Amino acid sequence: MSEPVLQLNGISKHFGMTKALSNMSISLLAGEVHAIVGENGAGKSTMIKIMTGIHQPTSGAIKVDGATRVIAGPQAARDAGIAAIYQEPMVFPDLDVAENIFIGDKSSGILTRPAAQRKRARALIERIGIKLDPSRIASGLTLAEQQAVEIARALSQDVRVLIMDEPTASLSAHEAEQLRKIAKTLAGQGVAVVYISHRLEEIFEIADCVTVIRDGSHISTKPIAEVTSDGMIAEMVGREVGNYFAKAASTATDEVIFEVRNLTLDGVFEDISFDLHKGEVLCMAGLVGARRTDVALALFGVTPPTSGTVKYKGQTTHFTTPRDAIEAGIAYVSEDRRKLGLAMPMAIKSNVSLATLNDFLSPLGLLDRAEEDKVAHHFSDRLNIRTPDVETPVGMLSGGNQQKVMLAKWLNLNPELLIFDEPTRGIDIGAKAEVHDLIRTFVAEGGAALVISSDLPEVLAMGDRILVMREGHQMGILDHTEATQKAVMMQATGQMQEAV
Amino acid sequence: MLSRVPPQTLRILALLLVLFAVLLFFSTQVPNYLNGRLFNRISSSVAIMALIACGQTLVILTRNIDLSIGSTVGFVAFATGSLITNNPDIPPLVLATYSVLLGACFGVVNGLLVAYARIPSIIVTLGTMALFRSALVEYSDAKSITTNNLPTWLVEFPNTQLFTIGTFQFRAAFVVAVLVVFAVHIALTRLRPARKIYAVGSNPEAAEMAGINTKLVVFFTFVLAGALAGLAGFMFLARFGTITVVAGLGFELKSVASAVVGGVNIFGGSGSVIGALIGAILVDLIDMSLVRWQLVSEFWREAVLGSLILLSVAADAILMRRLVKWRVAREKKQTKSGVSS
Repeated sequence: MSEPVLQLNGISKHFGMTKALSNMSISLLAGEVHAIVGENGAGKSTMIKIMTGIHQPTSGAIKVDGATRVIAGPQAARDAGIAAIYQEPMVFPDLDVAENIFIGDKSSGILTRPAAQRKRARALIERIGIKLDPSRIASGLTLAEQQAVEIARALSQDVRVLIMDEPTASLSAHEAEQLRKIAKTLAGQGVAVVYISHRLEEIFEIADCVTVIRDGSHISTKPIAEVTSDGMIAEMVGREVGNYFAKAASTATDEVIFEVRNLTLDGVFEDISFDLHKGEVLCMAGLVGARRTDVALALFGVTPPTSGTVKYKGQTTHFTTPRDAIEAGIAYVSEDRRKLGLAMPMAIKSNVSLATLNDFLSPLGLLDRAEEDKVAHHFSDRLNIRTPDVETPVGMLSGGNQQKVMLAKWLNLNPELLIFDEPTRGIDIGAKAEVHDLIRTFVAEGGAALVISSDLPEVLAMGDRILVMREGHQMGILDHTEATQKAVMMQATGQMQEAV
Repeated sequence: MLSRVPPQTLRILALLLVLFAVLLFFSTQVPNYLNGRLFNRISSSVAIMALIACGQTLVILTRNIDLSIGSTVGFVAFATGSLITNNPDIPPLVLATYSVLLGACFGVVNGLLVAYARIPSIIVTLGTMALFRSALVEYSDAKSITTNNLPTWLVEFPNTQLFTIGTFQFRAAFVVAVLVVFAVHIALTRLRPARKIYAVGSNPEAAEMAGINTKLVVFFTFVLAGALAGLAGFMFLARFGTITVVAGLGFELKSVASAVVGGVNIFGGSGSVIGALIGAILVDLIDMSLVRWQLVSEFWREAVLGSLILLSVAADAILMRRLVKWRVAREKKQTKSGVSS
């Protein structure tokens, strides 16, 4: 066996009293796709940050090509041929696509040559298998496109170790497949690929070996052939998980809470019509670019629709601002935690109370901090938020725990209708099941939920009915009794239409 | 056709349009307004502000601000003046280099504190603005530089007519300033390392991840801004000859105004020095025209100028937003028709 390209030997990392990693060892071989799985907060992110020089280990050694090396910073990591792609894309919104890709490029002299650069960018983008104009400004790109830019950036450098942290979390099924192909191709060219994903089916598709980590410690590393999905999950959580994929019993009633007819936003989506009953979970399925989020934003008053009617509890309504919608008892849990969801530097408790500050006023008109504390603790326990205390800034939590804080913030409003946009994107199976339970409890207690999700098993498990969209059009509504992965995908990809 | 033009170019075209509108307006209000004299006066005064606004733009692009720039101009003007007064034989180029390097030294102080001590630039430069000014008071010993003590080549330099077009005189100071701004513009758009300035302002975290030494970039922009302020100090000395302790007072705000009016995003990441140059011209033009406008009293000048700055920035923001929307809609249409065909 050849020498590992990158090796962590007994790496530990402490943040004050918190032990993020303890005695972690892992070897990455050239030409291998090495999957790393673990629950939220298991230490995956910390490990990546150590590999990419953002954090320095408290103890232990890093070896590159067998020689001990200190990775002092991102630049040192790049010099060693280590690049990372993150779940939340890191692009420069003011620069165009080509400039984004070649921002750290040193190969072509001191002068920039826009035309040549665009040509090279186009070639790299084609390798990813998507269409993207290299001269477009990055601020107008979708998450998936931004991620494509990041991948192209990594491809433009001579990567020897490519770390992909939840790369497919925000991609459509088709794009995710393209990406997995690229990961395999790169491995075929001798790159050591580190693949972190919560989608276990992906791991079985592309990984050569799997390392499970839990609570900052290495649990196992096995070739993929010796791994089963149940075994992997058991190792990740250290306990048996309930049947996550099973469809829970519907609690839908006959009472229509939300009646949407021919909702249209010119040039974005048209003719969206559905009823949402009390106690029901309606899922919106579709590929990236299906415009599901745009429909949600229109319903929530962010971008009012150009035509169509919305009846909420029998009343025709026109929400023109989110405030109107919130006051009517509608909450929207965004897919983009960072941008629309949370105030990252603020404490957990301040985030939880943010949307309902008026409920936290003491008689003197000052903020009642004891009450704030109480509510935050209540949700922290109920949602199982893993944190030392509720004063911790949200930015310091893992993705799954941030998601839970966001849920707490909106549940605190006691909404009657919750719109969830990708509620479990990038969070682990344990937390996913918890979120699903929360949504179920919410509707069982008389609420109604509209859930946008790109995760098909989730759509099938959650949705009492499933509305499928494709490129701004409603393709159909499936009852959960007739919905299968295949049926949803057929509609989402528009194959039904062609068959007719 | 409009959709082919990059947003930055459109912005500059829009600015030029506003410039012409302002000229047109005042020509109806002020008798004998549009003539060579107006151009000559504006160009002489803009020569100094353009350099300062150019440096300010570099700093703003990285999400920072330099409030000490006016004090730097003042100190450099005074120090250069006293050097040449005491040593009249120093060759012109050496003297100018001295000014630039001295300005850069002030930039180093700012840059170190902002980039490496991680103190917010508004705090650092608010402090250094006062410090540099006090240093000037101390250094000058409450004396002034006077024109009489300066060599004639220096006093004559800014007004040297390089060439004339009609009654428009192109004087050395203005031509030098425009050349410098264009050089910085070319560097910003065509040099690979300069792209890092935009990257750092656009998304500092991503810049760090991309292996860019963000601290060095920020440090460098402050040094460059200091150097440009130093050159402006040299020009200031040459133009006015008489330098007191209040030299360059208020330049920091005027330079920020020029940059912002010129379309530089105050939150960093986008803008051009050409925009800042036109912004400086616009601010100066309005300021100077208001003096001659009978309808507005001296007391209201600042208020009118302030309102115009707010108005231009607001108009720019609204127009740009519209434009972006219009373009997105257009792109969608095109891709749609592209797919179906």
